Amino acid sequence: MPFYRQIDKAIVSAALLAFGLVTAGAVTVATEGTASSATDNSRLVSVQQLPDNFNDPCSWEPSTSSDLPGAQVSADSPEEQALYAGLRRDAYPVLGAAVQGRAGNVQRRASSVVRAEEEDREAAEMRANGARSPVRTIRDTAPTYSAVAVDTNTNEVILQDNNLWEYQVFDRLAPTPAGPNDITPPKRTVRGDKTLIQFNNGLYVDPQGDIFSVESDTGDRMVRFPRDANGDVPPKAVLHTPHRIYNLAGSESRQEIFATVEYPPQVAVFRKDASGEDQPLRVLEGDATGLDAPHGIAVDEKDQLLFVNNWGHHSDVSVAGTGKWLPPSIKVYPLTASGEARPLRVITGDKTELDWPAAMKFDPDSGELYVANDIGQSVLVFAGAAAAQGDIAPSRVIHGPSTRLRNPTGVALDLKNKELWVSNLGNSSATVYPLDANGDASPLRVIRSAEESKRGVNFGRISAVTYDPIRQEILVPN
Amino acid sequence: MNHPQIAVFARSAGENTPYLRSIEGQKSLLGRTMHDLAFDEIHDEIVVTSALAQGILTFRGAANGEEAPIRFIQGDKTRIRGMGGDSAVGKVSIDSVHNEILIANGDNTILVFDRLANGNVAPKRILGGPDTQIKLGGASGTAIRVDPVHNLLLVPTGGIAGGKVLIFDRTASGNTPPRAIIQGPVAMGNQFEIYAPKLRLVTYPHGSNIEIWNIPLSGVSTEPSKKIPAPLGRGGNTETGIVLDPLHKEVIIATAAGNSIMTFSVPEVYDDWPAPSGGVPSAAAR
Repeated sequence: MPFYRQIDKAIVSAALLAFGLVTAGAVTVATEGTASSATDNSRLVSVQQLPDNFNDPCSWEPSTSSDLPGAQVSADSPEEQALYAGLRRDAYPVLGAAVQGRAGNVQRRASSVVRAEEEDREAAEMRANGARSPVRTIRDTAPTYSAVAVDTNTNEVILQDNNLWEYQVFDRLAPTPAGPNDITPPKRTVRGDKTLIQFNNGLYVDPQGDIFSVESDTGDRMVRFPRDANGDVPPKAVLHTPHRIYNLAGSESRQEIFATVEYPPQVAVFRKDASGEDQPLRVLEGDATGLDAPHGIAVDEKDQLLFVNNWGHHSDVSVAGTGKWLPPSIKVYPLTASGEARPLRVITGDKTELDWPAAMKFDPDSGELYVANDIGQSVLVFAGAAAAQGDIAPSRVIHGPSTRLRNPTGVALDLKNKELWVSNLGNSSATVYPLDANGDASPLRVIRSAEESKRGVNFGRISAVTYDPIRQEILVPN
Repeated sequence: MNHPQIAVFARSAGENTPYLRSIEGQKSLLGRTMHDLAFDEIHDEIVVTSALAQGILTFRGAANGEEAPIRFIQGDKTRIRGMGGDSAVGKVSIDSVHNEILIANGDNTILVFDRLANGNVAPKRILGGPDTQIKLGGASGTAIRVDPVHNLLLVPTGGIAGGKVLIFDRTASGNTPPRAIIQGPVAMGNQFEIYAPKLRLVTYPHGSNIEIWNIPLSGVSTEPSKKIPAPLGRGGNTETGIVLDPLHKEVIIATAAGNSIMTFSVPEVYDDWPAPSGGVPSAAAR
């Protein structure tokens, strides 16, 4: 086809007019804010130089080998078919290799090894030698608590911090900070390059006190620490996980760890002591499962059930135009479900109030399912969860200004002390309630890592940005 | 990505400054893997992909809270699918002058939709084929950008690792070769930007520099970039985002793993460059 070299003068004129109008508008509304000077506040973070073959940490390396049996491929070319097959297989490289009988050729997704402290140090040195410093920096210096667990053996509460890449351990009975600017001192903090913690989101604490932390991006690892870990220490075990994990649940009777993977959607079940390149014991995936952007997950060992909530983003990665948005839901499976198992029951509909549902926990004593409901600013409790289905209202909803909930994404049940713990992504806090709390209930106590009026920025790997010159505003997607 | 909001901050925001508003929640249809978005300053709209649902969303510029998009593009007619080696929908760009939304698609094509397209609609143009040299694959995917003043479409190849930037006529379709190429290699962050008045491409590849490249209108340019050392600290070695603020002569960087937005004063992007001593001004001084 010929090159297009003719310039449409009318369009150029329109373009220039439009630019002029926008610029004029921008000037009109310009209200120069007070530009904070470049901050030298050092955070204990940095990033290690990546290997030469580094690729986008939020993407997958293409495979050079053919597809897995059963993979649904409708790509246009053999190259694309191999690509999509690789995408499916890369989630479990060794499993894929075993199926294909050529372990040595299987590529794995590049993981990002982050050494935050080192890169901050290097930046400081460069700036001291004349490199440009930022005139403004938007960031949060306080933790962003994505998940919570409670260890009743030691009366400790563990909070995942997705912002500073750490977890902190607090006294379960620590009183609410007295003054509005006071914070709760942690007993221990696990953070630093050696910990391999980054974008940590899923959390599970076993009866021995071992802490399992899984990340939702970049490094694709689950790290396991002993109860008394403190400081910049290496994990006792590291498991290479699929990409895009959101949440964890554990089954002590089965000695298994369950993980939700947002996309391609699946539930992966590992031995609890899995490490390295150990493969999942089973995987629940495929269209029949109804998994669509799965997030929270809970185990009901009493009834041998698995609860998984979904945000409803649906598509087949290998087929163009298959996208759909479905309503949020909680789907119920047998605990041992695998392959393309269909859900036994589905809880969905307007009455459920589900709105970006996050972590869930099941109470075997009462049969209730607790759901952290991020955008609903609530905790939803569904009674008789083992048999619940359809468009049902929660039996209790903890919600309201007295609750101090703000973007709750983590829940933990302390059945020994009859308490419900919630981690709040949006205000650097954890709040605890009586297990039977309902409505606009005040917390019994608050663990706070920032001032009482804190509103977090909720950043979690912000890799794009745009600018609104009309309002002079910066738009940041997570 | 565990809370896929679009947070909106005042330009003057700093450390611990809360966002002014946030688009979020089920009604927004937003989901994780928003690796690109665009602001349409003529029509006051925000365009972003809903990657896991193979969709493109358009919001009001002042959208706030749990607000539904005013339009969306999704369905089998759209041909939208996963991005190269990734499983997510590709990156999106807006040409607000010519009322078009462009997306880098997973089959090494550029899909162009009418800005007002809504629902299950076919693209109005598709650019792709062996003569185009477009290779959006690789692991990193790539952003694409339009220069509506000079009627150009810029399509990088090579992603973070670096490669050529293919320059097409804005309205090119089918198996059309590029009209010009920046030989590079031009390493990319997650996004790049164009400063059209000076025909410059601005990027922040992983490393420590803002890089400015001249955009040729024809032929193959082997001119090197101008590099402005501007280290990010944590996050500098992951894929960054970037956008320009010409009014204040600033460059705004999203640091990804750094969980921060850094604004640098970089007049070099916007101003004429001095001629080399005793020499003729280079193309860079345009």
